Amino acid sequence: MIPPRLGYDRLGLGVGLRSVHFQHILSEQPRVDWFEIISENFMDSQGRPRHVLDQIAERYPIVMHGVSMSIGSTDPLNRDYLAKLKRLADSVQARWVSDHLCWTGVAGRNSHDLLPIPLNERTLRHVVQRIRIVQDVLERPLVLENPSSYVTFADSTMSEWEFISRMADEADCGLLLDVNNVYVSSVNHDFDPAEYIASVPHRRVVQFHLAGHTNMGTHCIDTHDGQVIDPVWELYRLAYRLAGGVSTLLEWDAKIPPFPEVHAEVMKARQYIDDAHPGLPLAPPASGPEETDSGGIPQPLHLIPAEVE
Amino acid sequence: MNDEAREDATRELDVVQRWMQAVITHPLGIASGVESPEARAELDVDTTHLESIVARSKALTSVERLAIYGNAYYARLLECMRDLFPALVDALGEDLFDSFAFSYLQQYPSRSYTLEHLADRFVQFLEETRPELSESTGNEADDSGEPAADEGAIAATWPDFIIDLARLEWTIDQVFDGPGVEREAPLTAERLMSIPADQWADARLAPVVCLRLLAFKYPVNDYYTAFRAGDDAPIPDPQESFAAITRRDYIVRRFELSKPQYELLSALVEGRTVGEAIADVATFCADVDTLAGSLQDWFRIWSVNGFFQQIHLPPDD
Repeated sequence: MIPPRLGYDRLGLGVGLRSVHFQHILSEQPRVDWFEIISENFMDSQGRPRHVLDQIAERYPIVMHGVSMSIGSTDPLNRDYLAKLKRLADSVQARWVSDHLCWTGVAGRNSHDLLPIPLNERTLRHVVQRIRIVQDVLERPLVLENPSSYVTFADSTMSEWEFISRMADEADCGLLLDVNNVYVSSVNHDFDPAEYIASVPHRRVVQFHLAGHTNMGTHCIDTHDGQVIDPVWELYRLAYRLAGGVSTLLEWDAKIPPFPEVHAEVMKARQYIDDAHPGLPLAPPASGPEETDSGGIPQPLHLIPAEVE
Repeated sequence: MNDEAREDATRELDVVQRWMQAVITHPLGIASGVESPEARAELDVDTTHLESIVARSKALTSVERLAIYGNAYYARLLECMRDLFPALVDALGEDLFDSFAFSYLQQYPSRSYTLEHLADRFVQFLEETRPELSESTGNEADDSGEPAADEGAIAATWPDFIIDLARLEWTIDQVFDGPGVEREAPLTAERLMSIPADQWADARLAPVVCLRLLAFKYPVNDYYTAFRAGDDAPIPDPQESFAAITRRDYIVRRFELSKPQYELLSALVEGRTVGEAIADVATFCADVDTLAGSLQDWFRIWSVNGFFQQIHLPPDD
């Protein structure tokens, strides 16, 4: 039996909650282990999104995943945002709260993108200090995800896996290991994704992310618009074996298919789960798609459209 | 250089972030961004020496790598703007809408943690800039729709159509996810109709928190209805129109209003008594008898549709 990581339980195989699936989930109540929400879509909602979330939270475990904490920014932390985050987490009994190792803007602006940071001692001190503040406010360990990135800095003095390892240990926080992001960044930055997976502190990994991406030929973009490709599944197999049976979540944010198709995609994970965790029925063999060559916008892109008569 | 010296040589993080933000959000692209005064004020580096800040990969140069963020910045936010204003996109065509939104995003970049506030000032921006008809040359509406009026005649008021439609769509969005009364009981028609006649004039009606009243110079609510129905509606002639927007059961509802209805509801929302509000409307209403004969129906329809939260009656003498 794998003990909870940082007190966070293993939830199984989950799906990112998206508004196009609201009605299906409410009416069909699919057998999904858990849902991950985009925190910013609900923390201010006083309408249908929040109403739907409250109903779903009564039936399923909820994890909150944010895109605007901007933990790496040099702007002051937004205390109002953090207070709302905590309020929502308490209200829906979120199992944990995650965000990204990134900054989203500076000088008061928000690019709504997950921007990379130089990986050096100076940045590490800054990020660790801010994680501690956030954890004090949220009164729980924060879980941070490795984002896909498209540039590296001349001022970086360590690898990303070294940075997040030291960050997690020094700040005593959890890690959301996005296996697809490791793959995307490995293509973009010419490193070995298996070395990344092998080098992170596995005891701090609380959750995995899986998603599709777009291969542009010279680089990959984290578009979340399709199935998980076979090389990412193989990295997931490695990550799962090394980190153990932690919660796994599939993200699908563009060209979103009907819910059963999204759910079926995450259920493929069973095929890659290590022999150390027998007894889980296997899904049919995954037939990962060829990498596509279409353009795309890196996620996050999260907006819930109005429903109107 | 040893590790310690190398760390000391790293740039301040805030400088790097202000530089990168200036570069990737520059409307003319990365090269212009790097050369911009905002970026050069932070890091005085030109594109030929960019690798001293951003490393290249085996496949891409520093400029090409930064361009992924630069392209995504506007592409992402324009996509959100299109999602927020689908009817306006349909009316203007995507290229023209994008040009307005692109200018808007430069004038009023997002300063919120949520995309829900992305278009907070878009209507204001359109009012400030009043895009000219000439800017629409070649747009979808001109290409596909029959000209609804002589081009010269509508040129002067063309910006009002854009502003009105944007205001309608933004209001719909705000009402959709703003405060509502789904967990409360609005004033029923039965309760309203049970008010003794002698108390009507001094009664005040409190609207539900999600009620919005809109006055337009163009019939944009009809236009929006046609858009929703998938009709290829031409840009309409200017014509004063009025609408009430509210929400029930978490769905936004739209109601066309006449001018007297709009004026009456506006007066009630401002806190006037029913008697005062009716008197206000009667002053500009040509046919007072018709007005008087319509009032009961109006109040019944409005209460059936949940416009009012409660009624405040005058205290008994």
